[in-house]
Amino acid sequence: MKTLQCTFIALFFCSVNLLANEVNDEKYLSTMQKNIDVLYDAKTLADYQTVINAFERIAGVETKKWEPLYYAAFGYIMMSDMETSLVKKDEYLDLAIIANDKAKALAPAESELLAIEGFIHMMRVAIDPASRGPKFAGLSMQSLQKAVELNNENPRALALLAQMQYGTAQFFGSSTEEACKTGSLAIVKFETYKSENPLAPVWGKKMAEGLTKNCQ
Amino acid sequence: MRLLFTTFFLMITLTAWSQTEISGSVKKENGEPIPFANVLIENTYDGTTADESGKFKFQTEEKDSVTILVRALGFYERRLSMIAKGRSISIEVSLREQVNELSAVTISAGAFVASDESRRTVFRAVDIATTAGATADIAGALNTLPGTQKVGESGRLFVRGGEGNETRTFIDGMVVLDAYSPSGPNAPSRGRFLPFMFKGTSFSTGGYSAEFGQALSSALVLDSKDNSELTRTDIGLLSVGADVTHTQAWKSGSAAAKVQYTDIRPYIDAVEQNIDWKKAPVSIQGIAAFRQKVGKTGMLKLFGNFNESDFSLYNHDIDGQREKQLYRLNNKYEYINASYKSVLNQNWIVKGGFSYTGTRNDNTLDNVSYNEAEHGTHSKLVFEGSITDRVELKAGAEAIARIYSFKSDADNAFDETIGAAFVEADLYASNNFVTRAGLRSEFNSLNGDATLDPRLSFAYKTGSSSQVSFAYGTFTQSVKNEWLRYNTELASEKAQHFILNYQRTSDRKTFRVESYYKIYDDLIKFNNGPDPSFNNGGYGYARGLEFFWRDSESIKNTDYWLSYSFLDTKRNYLNFDESLTPVFSSAHNFSAVGKYFIREINSQLGVTYSFASGRPFNNPNLARMNAGRTPAYHDLSFNWSYLPKPYLIVYLSCTNLTGRDNIFGYEYSDNRNESGVFNSRAIRQPAPRFIFIGIFITLSKEKSVNQLPTL
Repeated sequence: MKTLQCTFIALFFCSVNLLANEVNDEKYLSTMQKNIDVLYDAKTLADYQTVINAFERIAGVETKKWEPLYYAAFGYIMMSDMETSLVKKDEYLDLAIIANDKAKALAPAESELLAIEGFIHMMRVAIDPASRGPKFAGLSMQSLQKAVELNNENPRALALLAQMQYGTAQFFGSSTEEACKTGSLAIVKFETYKSENPLAPVWGKKMAEGLTKNCQ
Repeated sequence: MRLLFTTFFLMITLTAWSQTEISGSVKKENGEPIPFANVLIENTYDGTTADESGKFKFQTEEKDSVTILVRALGFYERRLSMIAKGRSISIEVSLREQVNELSAVTISAGAFVASDESRRTVFRAVDIATTAGATADIAGALNTLPGTQKVGESGRLFVRGGEGNETRTFIDGMVVLDAYSPSGPNAPSRGRFLPFMFKGTSFSTGGYSAEFGQALSSALVLDSKDNSELTRTDIGLLSVGADVTHTQAWKSGSAAAKVQYTDIRPYIDAVEQNIDWKKAPVSIQGIAAFRQKVGKTGMLKLFGNFNESDFSLYNHDIDGQREKQLYRLNNKYEYINASYKSVLNQNWIVKGGFSYTGTRNDNTLDNVSYNEAEHGTHSKLVFEGSITDRVELKAGAEAIARIYSFKSDADNAFDETIGAAFVEADLYASNNFVTRAGLRSEFNSLNGDATLDPRLSFAYKTGSSSQVSFAYGTFTQSVKNEWLRYNTELASEKAQHFILNYQRTSDRKTFRVESYYKIYDDLIKFNNGPDPSFNNGGYGYARGLEFFWRDSESIKNTDYWLSYSFLDTKRNYLNFDESLTPVFSSAHNFSAVGKYFIREINSQLGVTYSFASGRPFNNPNLARMNAGRTPAYHDLSFNWSYLPKPYLIVYLSCTNLTGRDNIFGYEYSDNRNESGVFNSRAIRQPAPRFIFIGIFITLSKEKSVNQLPTL
C-alpha cells in the first residue's frame, strides 16, 4: 500500500514535471518562432543585432538547444554580408563561428550546422579570394559535403554546395554542369523536404533559384 | 456580477503589479552611449536590445531578486543584482571597453607581420609565394619590403646597414642556426624553409621583442601552421627537380612528409652559366611535420628538416696564370624543432620548445680538405598571461648551446652556451595607447660576458586608421664564427636602435613611413698581416628613411606595392683603416611589385622591378679602401600562375627579363701585374636570367584544393 502510494506520488510529480516541461517547451517554441520571423524580415544591421540578441537571451536559458545558436550564427553571417568594412566582415564571421561551434557541441550530427559552417567559410573566401580562397574554399567544401552526408535531403546544404561548386567552376572557367545539377536537386528538395523539427530553418530557396537561373 | 467584476479588476491590478519595468541606458566609461547592447535578466527570456543611443526599456514578470546582465560587443559584460518589486526601475550601466586585438593599437615600429588569418596585416603569407622575382623564397619576397638592401650575390636578408648574419631566423620561437642552403661562390642562396609551412611571418627590421636575442639587426619569426585540416597529396614537377608531399589529417592531429629532389644539372646544360661547374648542385631534402592536440588546449608540434647537397666547381685564377682549382662542397644539415603550447588557466599560457641544428660542410680545394661543423641546441620556456585586462606579461628563460669546429691544418673549435632570461610587459592605457617595456639578460659562457638589454616601445592611435609608434632597444650578438674560432675571448657585438614609425591603413591600402638611427659598438676589428690581433674596437652607425605604399583597391584586379629605403651607414670594423660604407650596403633601394589577375585565362601575372644604387667595393689599386662603386642594380622579374583546373597549377617565372648584366663588385688578384696593377674580375650573376617552370598537382577528396598557398 505504501509503495503504491509512493508510486502515485512519484507519478503525480512526474506528470507535473512533464506538464511544466511542456509549458516551457511551448514558450520556447513560440518565442523562437516569433524571433525567427523577425530574423527573416530583418533589413538593417540594427534589426539583425536586435534579433541576434534575442536568440542569445534564449540560448542563455535553453542551454541544451542548438536552434537559438544556429539562428544567431545565421544572423551574424547576414550582418557580415551587409557590412562594407572588411575587418568588420571578419569580426561578424568570427562571432558566427563561435555561436555555430557552441551549437555543434550540442548537436554534432545536425546537417544544418555543418551547412552553416560551410557558409561561414564561403564568406571568408569572398572577403579576400586570393589569400583566403585556397584554404577556405577547401574547408567550405569539406563542411558542405559533410552536411549533405548527414542529411542528403537538406536543401540548404545542397544549395550552398551548388553555390560553392558554381563559384569554383566559374573561377576556373570549367563546366558548371555539376553545380547546376546540385542546384536543381536543391530546388526539388526545397519542395519535398519537411523537417520534423518545427524550428528548422527554411531559408535558401531564392539562392538556389538565382543560381539555377544562370544555368539555362 | 459584482463578484465577477471585482475578480476581473483584481486580476488586472495583479498583472500590473507583477510586472516590473526596467529601463535605463548603456554607456561607455566616458559617458558616450553604446548602441545595441543586449540587456537581459539572467536565466530568463526577458530582456531587450538597447537602441542607437544606448537607451532600453523592458518588462519582466520575475519577482524578488534578479540579476541583470548587460553585454555589448567590445566591452566587458556587467551583472547587476536588484529586486524586482513590480514597479519601475531605472538603471544607468557603464561598460568598460575591452582591449581588443582587432581594434587596439599595435606596435608597428620595425615590424612587418604577414598572416592570412588576420586582415590587419600589411603583408600576407600568400604574398611570399606570388611575388615575382622571389621564386617562392621567403627572403626573396621580404627583400621587396623597406629596410632591406639588395645583395644579389648573397640571397640573404641584409637589414638597415647590417650584415646578412645579423638577421636571425626563428621557427615557433626557436632559433635556426643555419637558415640558408649552401650555394656556389657569389651565387644567391635560398632559405631552407619553404613559405608554405608557415601560417604567419613576422619580419622585424629593428626594435623587436626581448624574447629574441642574438640578432643585431633583424628577427625573422616564422609561425608554423597548426593542425592541417585536409588529407591531401601534393606533387610538384619542376624544371629543376621534383617533390612529393603527403598530408594525413585526423581529428586531433595531422602528419605531413615531403621529399624533394633538386638537380639543376639539366637546366645548367641548357643555359650557359658564369660558373665553371664540374658537378652542379644536387640536393635531396626530407621534411616531416607532426601536429597533435593534447587534451583540451595543448598543441604539440614536431618538425624536422634533413638535407644533403653536393656540388663541385673550378675556380679560375684572376690573372689566368695558375691552373684552375677544383673546389668541392658537401653539406649535411639537420634541423629538428619541437614545441608545445598549452593553456594553464583563463589568464596564462605556457610555451616550451627545443630545437637542434646540425650542419657540416666538407670542403675540398685542390685536394686539400677542411671541414666546418656546428651543432646547436636551443631550449626555451615562456609564460604569457594577463595580470589585469590591461597588462599583459611575458616572461621566459632559454639556453642556446653551440659546439663549433673548423678543421684544416689546425683545429679551431669552441663551445658556447648562452643562458638568457627575459621579461616583457604590454601596458594598455586604452585601446589607443600601448607601452611595451622589456628587459633581456644574457650570460655567455665563452667570453664570460653578462649583458642587459632593455627594449621599449610605444604606439599611439592618432585616428581610426592611423598610428604613430616608437621603438628603442639594445641588442647583443656573438661575433661571427669565422672570427670567433680564432679568438674565443672576443666580446659580443652590440647595437642600439631608435625607430619612429607612422602608419595609415584602410581595408585595402597601407601607407607607412619609418625613420631610424642605429649605433653599432664592440664590432670585430683586426689588422692585416701576420698578427691580426682580433679585438672589439669596431664601431659604426646606420640611419635611414623608408616609405611603403600598398594598394589593392584603386586599380581593378590589381594589387601593388612600392617600397623605398634610404640608407646612410658607415663602419670602422674588420680591417678598415677608417669609417667606411661597407660593401653590402647601397644608399637607395626601391621595389615595385605588381600582381594582376586575369579572370578570362585563370591566371595571375606578377611583375617585380627592383633597383639598388651602386655599392662600394674595395679596389686595391686605389689609395682609399672601399672607394670603388659598382653600377646600379636593376632587375625586372615576371611570373605567371595559371590554374587550368582547381587541383592543378602551372607556374612560370623568369628573373631579370631584360638580361641586364648586374655587377655586384669586383675581385682582385693578390699580386700586382707587370704594370703594377692588381687585375680584377667582376662578380656577376651566375646567369643573366633564371627561368623556372613548375607543375603542381594536388590530390584530395575536395577537388577544389590546390597548392596556391604552397607556391
